[in-house]
Amino acid sequence: MEGLDRKLGVFSALPIFIVLAITFLAPLFVVAAFSIMPAKVFSLANVPDFSAYATFLQQGYWKSLAWSLGMAFASTLLLFIVCWPLAYGMAKVFGKFTLVVTIAVVVSLFVSENIRLFGWVLTLMKGGLIAGYLEAWFGVEMESPLYTVPIIVFGLVYVYFPFMLFPLAQGIAMVPDDARQAAADLGASRWRILWEIDLPLAAPGIVVGSLLSFVLAAGALAESKLLGGQAVIVFADEIETAFTYGQNWPLGSALSMVLILIVGSLAIVGVSKIDLDAIMGRKR
Amino acid sequence: METGRTTRIVLYAYGVLAICFLYLPLVSVGFASVSQARYLSFPIRRYTIEWYGEALDSHTVSSLLTTSFTIAVIVTVISLVVGFFGALAFARYQWRYRNLFQKFILLPIFFPQAVLGLALLIWFNSVGIIPSWKTAIVAHLVWISPITTLIIAIRAYAFDASLEEAARDMGASTWTVLKEVTFPLLLPGVVAAGLFAFLLSWGNFPLSLFTTGVDSTLPEWLYAKMVSGYSPLVPTLGMLSVLASLAILFAAFLVLILAKSFKQARGTE
Amino acid sequence: MAAEPVLRLKNIVKKFGAFVALHGINLDIRDGEFLTIVGPSGSGKTTLIRLLVGMDSPSEGEIWLNNSRIDKVPANKRPTCMVFQSLALFPHRTVGQNIEFPLKIRGVGAAERTARARELLELLRLPPHYQEKRITECSGGEKQRVALARALAFDPEILFFDEPLSALDYRLRKTLEKELKDLHARTGKTFVYITHSLEEAMVMSDRIAIMREGKLEQLADADGIYTRPVSRFVAEFMGEVNLFDVEGTAQGGLHGRGVEVHVNGQMEDIGISLGQGERGTLMVRPEFVRILESSGTSDFIVRGILRAEYALGSRIQYEVEAADGSRLSVEKLREDRYQGAIGDELVLGWDLDSTHLIRED
Repeated sequence: MEGLDRKLGVFSALPIFIVLAITFLAPLFVVAAFSIMPAKVFSLANVPDFSAYATFLQQGYWKSLAWSLGMAFASTLLLFIVCWPLAYGMAKVFGKFTLVVTIAVVVSLFVSENIRLFGWVLTLMKGGLIAGYLEAWFGVEMESPLYTVPIIVFGLVYVYFPFMLFPLAQGIAMVPDDARQAAADLGASRWRILWEIDLPLAAPGIVVGSLLSFVLAAGALAESKLLGGQAVIVFADEIETAFTYGQNWPLGSALSMVLILIVGSLAIVGVSKIDLDAIMGRKR
Repeated sequence: METGRTTRIVLYAYGVLAICFLYLPLVSVGFASVSQARYLSFPIRRYTIEWYGEALDSHTVSSLLTTSFTIAVIVTVISLVVGFFGALAFARYQWRYRNLFQKFILLPIFFPQAVLGLALLIWFNSVGIIPSWKTAIVAHLVWISPITTLIIAIRAYAFDASLEEAARDMGASTWTVLKEVTFPLLLPGVVAAGLFAFLLSWGNFPLSLFTTGVDSTLPEWLYAKMVSGYSPLVPTLGMLSVLASLAILFAAFLVLILAKSFKQARGTE
Repeated sequence: MAAEPVLRLKNIVKKFGAFVALHGINLDIRDGEFLTIVGPSGSGKTTLIRLLVGMDSPSEGEIWLNNSRIDKVPANKRPTCMVFQSLALFPHRTVGQNIEFPLKIRGVGAAERTARARELLELLRLPPHYQEKRITECSGGEKQRVALARALAFDPEILFFDEPLSALDYRLRKTLEKELKDLHARTGKTFVYITHSLEEAMVMSDRIAIMREGKLEQLADADGIYTRPVSRFVAEFMGEVNLFDVEGTAQGGLHGRGVEVHVNGQMEDIGISLGQGERGTLMVRPEFVRILESSGTSDFIVRGILRAEYALGSRIQYEVEAADGSRLSVEKLREDRYQGAIGDELVLGWDLDSTHLIRED
């Protein structure tokens, strides 16, 4: 049976491997190749140089990168704090209500993120849902929080909420109840249990949720464009400009490569930390 | 160690609050879509549904809807086929590179979609393909086919491998086993994955943004309008897109219930 | 050993909604004893231990530990602790860290903790280098010992056990039963042990409490439970037993279906007698039943046909069908095995002093 399994495994893996080779690996190779082309060429048939990377260092693009990474870090931290109680509830307390929360969160993912972000613009803008009703009902005037850095972080927290919530809930679900009970029985307080038992044993979920949120937030574009106005230029925005408005593919590729290297190495760390068989409930 | 009553109440309240937080922006969009004023401001004074009429009459809108719909259907079909087999390789068969394969499938989900979209754009251009709605299909697959694989894999994990072995033991060929045992058992996972694939493709924005060329999907068009200035059609079309998603979810739910009662009716015969 | 109760349960009731899991349990646990609470699943023993440990609180009644009432005190504030059925060792910690855990919670310094952990490893006969070993690398028996060491590190007033041996294989279980009994003797602590296996209880305990449907059915030492059960339930729970419905006769004797009674008079002296018309159950364990010559005589006699023979290792069990169709079992040591064949007509007999009368209300 083992020989058959081996053959079937390779054959079944083939179709999706081909799809991902075309849609994922090939584009990454092309971007890598373009990143070492001289400025403003549109073909790979040129003598390679590293001028695009030099431009990245010289022209202050690193500032955008720092903003993107900084906001990604802040939003990941906030997401962890915001999601932990809910994930804990879903894993250990809610019972049937867990399904309600899960469905509600998943369905929200089916709505375009730009429509949802636009909804926040309508909610938070001057004369928007909150400010408008506050003034109409209580006569309170409110400054709109839009077009600032904190609101971009807020948008990132909002959009990537499910990407932190589900891995965390999965991680907490893997903390055995008896270990928590035994710790309590041996005299540990609630905070002590959180620190000594919950956090270390839920670590795989914490790592995956945090990496996923961080990586996606670091490459996010729509949050800063829609909610942040021109408050800061995020790195993905610079990449887009280089490719489209600037018509400088090698520069865009070099910028992409910088992000891909950061994100990719984190993603590989994250992915290699996951024991998929354990998380997805292997029965054998 | 029971969770205290107060803690439970607080956690439930927090859960409800979180759901409200997720859907609050859609409430705003909903209100905005029925406001008569050309320049939106709350509280809304006059309500109208004329924007919906205008949206549905517009040629632009119908072509946007057709493009989004066609892309979503094709993406669903392809991602289901590769996802079905991918899931078997992922969860069911013991083969040499299974571990590596699992991680490889996961990797695209860990990549920012906007960056992937741009990379795909360069890739298409460099091999001389002019981006259109067809290239958007390819773009959507990078993110959606791993997701269908994972969803079907969850089902494949739960399934007892000895069932296949029993069928083979009774003389069934590999193909027959697949058709008679594996596929029917994985069907619920396939249905769920199909629903996810369609809805995620329908609503996808960051992958479409750079890969549709002169064509445009609904979320993309909305984005263009949002960035360039307010139009009363934006909330209306946003709502239409959300309603379409809900309608599909609802239809899927109905089909599920009908199929169940049909099965039960047959079972009692 | 003083019979001073260390833990006193007063009329403990536990309800889950409309379901009553415990109907008024009264129990005194003596200082330093090894008490085992035995019952089939659903008898309420697990509910009871959760109350005793503090993972749940009773609906009614009081629990007193020495001179303080503890039924409302949560688990982490009670000076008792439990060895879990699953052992509940922390998988992310080493053996040493697991043992040190209760000391760390109490704020004991690192050097003292390590020293104490080493002592406990020695007490449990584990080599000192196990301190650094990962829990996941330990065998079943080693995990058991680590869990015990961790509980002892807590230095509890009472140590509770929730069926910790049930997942182990037979031989290891037998070894650990004896080790536990030995550990109890060496530490002098009060052990309260829960199990569904009366056999396990018999080996280790000073006293056994039998639970049934949320009530305490009988509390006695192993001998008492085995030879003088208060009910058919207890008698049957302990394994093979022969039971006969009997009724008191006008002459002060017994009349039973399927059993001939050949004694008179002395029955009253050892408590085996019933008033006229009073009903009871006569009990004899299979190993006390003899296979007689056809003319032999005994205080009680049953005639029947040998239907089956089962080898139980050191003993042989015979199944005999009596004239009225009921089945009896008889056990003989291997060296005393019956030499005949299946289908033989047998006369079975036993004496008054190996007989017990169960009176149930």
